[in-house]
Amino acid sequence: MKTLSLIVSIIVGAFLMYGTIDMPAWGDPDSPASTHVSPYYITHTEVDTATPNMVTSVLADYRGYDTLGETTVIFTAGMACILLLRRRGGRNKDRG
Amino acid sequence: MNIPFDIILQLFVVICAVAAITVRDLLSAVMILGAYSFFMCLMWAQLGAVDVAFTEASVSAGIGTILLVAAVLKTTRRTKD
Amino acid sequence: MDFIIAKYNYWIYITLMMIGFYAMIAKTNLIKKIIGMNIFQTAIILFFVSISYKRGGATLPILTDADAHGGHVIDVAQYLNPLPHVLMLTAIVVSIATLGVALAIAIMMYRKYHTLEEDEILKAIK
Repeated sequence: MKTLSLIVSIIVGAFLMYGTIDMPAWGDPDSPASTHVSPYYITHTEVDTATPNMVTSVLADYRGYDTLGETTVIFTAGMACILLLRRRGGRNKDRG
Repeated sequence: MNIPFDIILQLFVVICAVAAITVRDLLSAVMILGAYSFFMCLMWAQLGAVDVAFTEASVSAGIGTILLVAAVLKTTRRTKD
Repeated sequence: MDFIIAKYNYWIYITLMMIGFYAMIAKTNLIKKIIGMNIFQTAIILFFVSISYKRGGATLPILTDADAHGGHVIDVAQYLNPLPHVLMLTAIVVSIATLGVALAIAIMMYRKYHTLEEDEILKAIK
């Protein structure tokens, strides 16, 4: 079982390394991720939000709904933890 | 960017990851995972992502390690692999 | 040689990710599986953060005084890409949420079966 898992991991890793051949070079300033949408944030953040820190302005202003959804996820996880770990008293004590 | 420091950090991160999954004591594994998180945080600070590094140092290396230690203390330290 | 220098960082990220993957599918202890999941998530977050890096003197994504109040055109290549940082901030917090729920389920299973080993739990269920 362990050797099978190791073989599967190595095969998946080899496929992923084969996939990096077509990736842009590491740290390339002209990679597609750095040329399409992020120049708007870099150039307009002072005009739009008057915040020097771009990460803050994107997190709380441009993508505020994203942060709201993140808060919802945290709330759901906290409720799930409380519901799972609550010690149930009374009749069904054996269920934990 | 300073290339040798970069390589040292990557080496430490890989060593910590291998040690965390091979050590046969769960509390030691959790502590090594905390060290892994701090090395990862240093790596992100060196890549220029300071906000992500702050969040990792406080949330993942702090609260995550506390949660894991609490879970190990509530259950057992014994493991077979 | 240029090819290796341009790509070896990606290979280290893939190595980390496969260490986590192996721990998730091969280890029988539940806490070890959760540790593997954490390593897996961290490797993916590291890959995304490294996409935003720019070689050649780019600084942190915080505007300097001259750019903030100078009124001239901001050079995009001078700042790192801020978008992956924002997305990965969200991903770190979500990873802590999944870690908490996974640990809660593991503690609940320990209370019921008094073991954390997967094979012993399977034997107890049968």
